[in-house]
Amino acid sequence: MAFNFNWSPLTADAGFYERARDLLTTALNKSPKPPIIVDDIFVTELNLGSVPPDLEILEIGDLAEDRFRGIFKMCYSGDAFLTLATRVQANPLNTYISAKPSFTSPEPLTASSSLTIPLQITLSEIKLSAFIILVFSKQKGLTIVFRNDPLESLKVSSTFDSIQFVRDYLQKTIEMKLRDLIMDELPAIIHRLSLQLWCPDQVPKEDEEAKEESDAAINPLATPPLDAVDAHGHRLDPAEISSLSLDGGPETQSLFSQKNLEKMDALASAHRTSSLLTPNILEVVFRAWAGQSDKPDATATPASTPNLHWTSSYQGSVHTYTFSDNSSQASGHASSRPTLVSMGSATTGLSLGSGRHSKAGRKKKMRVVNLRSKTAASEPVSEIGSTSSQAGDSHSEASTRTPMSEPVIPTTIREVPENDLAASQSKVRFRPPTDATTSARASESSGPRAAVPSVPVTAQPSRAASPQEHVYTRQPSMFPSSPAPQTSAQEMPPSYSSRVSQKAESTASIYADAKGQQQQFQQQQQQWGRAGPQPDMSSVILEQAWITKIAGEIARRVYDEKNRNPAFWEDSHQHDIPPPAYEPR
Amino acid sequence: MREFMNYITNAFYGATGWNEDNKYNELNATSRELIDFPLSRGLRLTLSSLATPHFATSYQLGSVGVVDGSISYLHSSIPLTHIAAQSDKIPLPALLRCYRRLHDLRSPGQQHYILDADPLSGLPPSPQSARALLGAASDAAVAGGALDGGDTDQDPGIHTHSLLYGRLYLPKSLLEGMIIKRFTQALQVQVRAVSEQSLRNGGTILGLVQYDKGKYGLEGLYSTDGGLLGFRGLYNFGGDASSSTCDPWTPTPGENSNNNNNNNNNNGHAQAGEKERIYGRFSVGGELYYGTLNKSGGMSLGARFATLPAHRGTPLTATLTINPLMGNINATYALLAREYCSLATRVDFNVYSYESEWAVGMELWSNRRPAGFLLGASPSNDFEPEPYPPKKKERSFQAKMEWRLDDPEPEPEPEPTPKTRKNDEYKGVLKARLDNNLRMGLLWEGRAKSLIFSIGTGIDLHKLGEPFRSLGLEVQYSS
Repeated sequence: MAFNFNWSPLTADAGFYERARDLLTTALNKSPKPPIIVDDIFVTELNLGSVPPDLEILEIGDLAEDRFRGIFKMCYSGDAFLTLATRVQANPLNTYISAKPSFTSPEPLTASSSLTIPLQITLSEIKLSAFIILVFSKQKGLTIVFRNDPLESLKVSSTFDSIQFVRDYLQKTIEMKLRDLIMDELPAIIHRLSLQLWCPDQVPKEDEEAKEESDAAINPLATPPLDAVDAHGHRLDPAEISSLSLDGGPETQSLFSQKNLEKMDALASAHRTSSLLTPNILEVVFRAWAGQSDKPDATATPASTPNLHWTSSYQGSVHTYTFSDNSSQASGHASSRPTLVSMGSATTGLSLGSGRHSKAGRKKKMRVVNLRSKTAASEPVSEIGSTSSQAGDSHSEASTRTPMSEPVIPTTIREVPENDLAASQSKVRFRPPTDATTSARASESSGPRAAVPSVPVTAQPSRAASPQEHVYTRQPSMFPSSPAPQTSAQEMPPSYSSRVSQKAESTASIYADAKGQQQQFQQQQQQWGRAGPQPDMSSVILEQAWITKIAGEIARRVYDEKNRNPAFWEDSHQHDIPPPAYEPR
Repeated sequence: MREFMNYITNAFYGATGWNEDNKYNELNATSRELIDFPLSRGLRLTLSSLATPHFATSYQLGSVGVVDGSISYLHSSIPLTHIAAQSDKIPLPALLRCYRRLHDLRSPGQQHYILDADPLSGLPPSPQSARALLGAASDAAVAGGALDGGDTDQDPGIHTHSLLYGRLYLPKSLLEGMIIKRFTQALQVQVRAVSEQSLRNGGTILGLVQYDKGKYGLEGLYSTDGGLLGFRGLYNFGGDASSSTCDPWTPTPGENSNNNNNNNNNNGHAQAGEKERIYGRFSVGGELYYGTLNKSGGMSLGARFATLPAHRGTPLTATLTINPLMGNINATYALLAREYCSLATRVDFNVYSYESEWAVGMELWSNRRPAGFLLGASPSNDFEPEPYPPKKKERSFQAKMEWRLDDPEPEPEPEPTPKTRKNDEYKGVLKARLDNNLRMGLLWEGRAKSLIFSIGTGIDLHKLGEPFRSLGLEVQYSS
């Protein structure tokens, strides 16, 4: 196999340099220039030289009709050179003044008078040495990655060569810029060009793909929305989610598009000024829109992410989604039970946020206490975020310990009660209204916003996966401990029993927890679907009253059923009878 | 056009007796305003109000493609009762005039603002005209203090006034704030701040300490942007500044009893006579900047000669500034050719790059109605006739019947009165500029009913096919 690179015909073409110069000139002048450059940048000379680069094939990993992967070594020490000409502003005060708002300008008289100097920069003796990984596929275009810093040396000569300081500065700056250009910009440009060449249909589609991907891929990151659904609105299996999370590891970065990061940055910096700007970030539900519930969180979040680097934004997003941790937890448990390996996968997603969780959880505890004094009307919604995140909190602790032998569990339970108490307190408080809103709005909110992926309000989730049961059995530990009066007394004994014997799956507790889970799903959904407006007082009171009634009724029915047919309960219930609370009305 | 808030701020300076022109960066203010006047762009409406003597508001709505606007509020601790804020009474010269007369160094309290409003050359304005222009001639507190015969600086309350100003530009969410605080008669501190998202650190703050001793004015500044430190100074000599009574804060005995302008100027005449026809004042100054964070700096030196208001000939101002670091030499020359016409030229030359620039500017005042001004022929051509109303009158019917001439008309009133009346009659001003790139700027500003209009356009004479670079209309109403 041989490759034939034509270097000289490239240069032999008379019109080539002309075109290349024009292209470069327009490319250089396209972006807004810094104020120090007062004229257009012209490429006056361009020569690729006569010495071709040396190319060495180190490895070919994949070779087919439509794809190629290989590693090359490239060396170049030719006589190519490039000359740029422009005019620069030599008075630093002038550039300083021109970039500032006039109101706070010191308004110098003539100290800022301009002095423009023509500048000519020649880049020559370019030495490159790089290991290039080249991946080509017809679908994804051409991707080039430099494994090392390709630029070995470069000679920058300019009009100011006689001034040592300026020369050094230019040399340094241009080398740095060029490195950035080659390492970051060039692969992107090549990729884009290749896409246009081979698969022009991919270019506009990229957004859609990214959307789909993020729909599916955000979920595994310990931050799945509770109603994890695919594009068609079908609910995703938790196992599926966890499998997604497996390969999501290194690519998490791609989940947060650069554009969104920039917007988040703009949003964060907007808090520091009086800017009213609220950038429109794709695929994100703003807390302000999600209802009053999250206001405390929303105020806390910017403080924790003042500066949106990649990592912090990632954490921030974990934070944002914490209320949905339960289901990811569920998936984590689901897979962690049978094998340790998948457990690891589940925790990778979680462990990233867990350190943060503990902190946030502590803060939230405070907030829960504060909120308790508020009216019941605002509480049902306002506590969900904190509660469920706490639930996630305690869960994450629990989940990390799950693989250990069973006897350990009681100790873990002993360790968490503080968390549990706080969580359960708030939980109990919001649960009845949750139920109320759930049932009351089940019909109304059957068609939530188009923007929000929705779960049809059916029994699907509850029978989605049997492993979930295991999770649910754990939950009672916090559920029954709640001192709230709304919890029906009938429910207590079974849940206690479930706590004592972790394995014994008392149906009531399953039921209750499945219900809780589902309630959270729906609550979530409504939170998104409702987009802000708080139900007015009267309806809330009505709902609450109705809810307590329904809750009692449900608990009673569950208890009866369980008493009647304890053995048959699980199967029959899971496959045939949807939980009463989710019966479509 | 000076913005309403600028006008109010100037009124504040006037009320507190601060001479805002006695600093280095106002050295060539006259030619700068005559040549570099801002052209309005797009459509802009301003509603302003001096709601109480202490409080002013201004709302602005503009449209240059996109609609934007601003809301601004201003609070002054000194009552601004002596100015006319209604747009049908506001003296246009105070708002629009570019040629800046020198302010008397010796009575910083009352005089300069009136002079600013007075467009007349040579002759001192009568106190009545000044009063007519500006309402009360001087602020009650200041005048009271002066008329009592006591030194104005005996009353500390006058000099510890402050001004607060804030402005929010809406779609941009750019917030401007300014505090001006007077500490003593000679010391004033200004803090300006801008908050905007796109700026580094979300905004900048500029602090200015101004010290004005009449004979010299010093200014120190610090900007948080780049940690810029600056120092400016201006020193006056010659003319009134070098006279024995030049110490601004020890008024001559004659002044104590009578504080009006006439007296001052009479004094000035007397001194000028003694000084053997030195009717001008020299000022020299310099500025120095150093950015502590970006390690860059700049400086310039400047000198100015300007005729005093007492000068009987053509008032003129000439400046020369040099930037030795950048090799820039800048010379300007401005004169008030007629009371309705000012001219200015400017030449820039750089000794390092041999780049040079020139620009000329002028302003023409018109006392005719704006519509006629706009629809008529070129204003500069037929401006000459009828500075006064036609004096020839038809013989009256009665006289004709009796076969005799009319009774001789009473002599026209003494000079000042018709002139001041004419001041009031000024309806608009045309400003024009031209530079070496053959770019022209035209701006007409004037009053129609109780609205103040400003219509401007930029013209590029190089591209005569599509000469209009910009077009703008500004309408201002204040109450």
